[in-house]
Amino acid sequence: MKFKDYYEILGLTRSATQDEVKHAYRKLARKFHPDVSKDPDAEARFKELGEAYAVLKDPEKRAAYDQMGSQWKAGQDFQPPPGWDTGFEFSGGDFGAGPGGEHSDFFEALFGHHFGTGQRGHMRAQGQDHHAKVQIDLLDAYRGAQRSIALRMPELDAEGRVALQERKLDVSIPKGIRAGQHLRLTGQGAPGLGGGAAGDLYLEIVFKPDPKFRADGRDVYANLPLAPWEAALGAAVMAPTPEGPVRLTIPPGSVAGRQLRLKGRGIPGTPPGDLYVVLTIALPPADSEAAREAYRAMAEAFDFNPRQALEE
Amino acid sequence: MNPIAMTYIEGPVVEEEVRFTLVELCQACSAEEEHVLAWVFEGVLEPAGSSPQDWRFSGESLRRARLALRLSQDLEINPPGVALALDLLDEIAALRARLQRAGVR
Repeated sequence: MKFKDYYEILGLTRSATQDEVKHAYRKLARKFHPDVSKDPDAEARFKELGEAYAVLKDPEKRAAYDQMGSQWKAGQDFQPPPGWDTGFEFSGGDFGAGPGGEHSDFFEALFGHHFGTGQRGHMRAQGQDHHAKVQIDLLDAYRGAQRSIALRMPELDAEGRVALQERKLDVSIPKGIRAGQHLRLTGQGAPGLGGGAAGDLYLEIVFKPDPKFRADGRDVYANLPLAPWEAALGAAVMAPTPEGPVRLTIPPGSVAGRQLRLKGRGIPGTPPGDLYVVLTIALPPADSEAAREAYRAMAEAFDFNPRQALEE
Repeated sequence: MNPIAMTYIEGPVVEEEVRFTLVELCQACSAEEEHVLAWVFEGVLEPAGSSPQDWRFSGESLRRARLALRLSQDLEINPPGVALALDLLDEIAALRARLQRAGVR
């Protein structure tokens, strides 16, 4: 287990006041919130910030953390010294890191056994609703799919410690589903209490990144590179669609950025989406004498100034 | 011997087939009723119906309410701030979609 320097994570010194802790957390949390930031590490950074803040904002936990001393460096191998937390009384409760928040091993070793997930909603008999994401291929949205997915859920074990339980679920993904939509699986959430009904499980659909296609709602976009002469003279070329290539007529005089709409070839539904083929123009490299000669012949043949507009 | 039939769980697509009452929406996002009331007041959520008892929230409300809850919990933002953040996030998403349509990654 590696030591985590919660002060370093928040960019603070050990003498920071509680106000400075709050200020630093808020500033960084806004920057790295996964709903706001597109930074690929945002989720990991945000989790780390939340963990650091959960410890440092709470005077009890901060004092316990501080008394381990400042000789520890981030990333050092670490075991909590025996009895490190004697003499501290934790008032418990949860720290708002989201339902059953997952923390690092380091955090769990220090504070894990003091705080269960505190299963919220004890008053209600119905079990909590759970949420998870499931990644599918774009083609699954075209055809529908059946998927076995593994979900990890934090559960309390006999000693009240949080452990991740894995469970498998066989789910039918309906044809026509779109990224960002949710499936509701009745009764697959947390078990009910006192004979109450189980909660529901909501699965959010995410498309795996695809090198060829990008989806926007029901519509799907694909780039189609053309040689300059194909764009200028027109051509019949094979264009990719998620369901397989189709023959596409390129009109003469096509320019880069032009979109050809293939009606109804987007994600199925009523109405179905469309597939947009976005034309791009690829220049052949001038890497042989013959190729250079061809470019020279073009220069001769055209009275063409691509910078006309700049000179006016 | 019969082959073991795999049964696949099916469920409705929330955005197309589900409408929530106030109580159901609170249950689905683990949100307090008072929070949802505040977000409706700020226009973050726009249920059909005249009084909280008759409110029906669209399936899309699930995503918005969960986002609102995360922003208010994680960043300690008040309801007017949540409303502003959601509007701005919607605008960013629309602009990103336009870029993506034009082939800019």
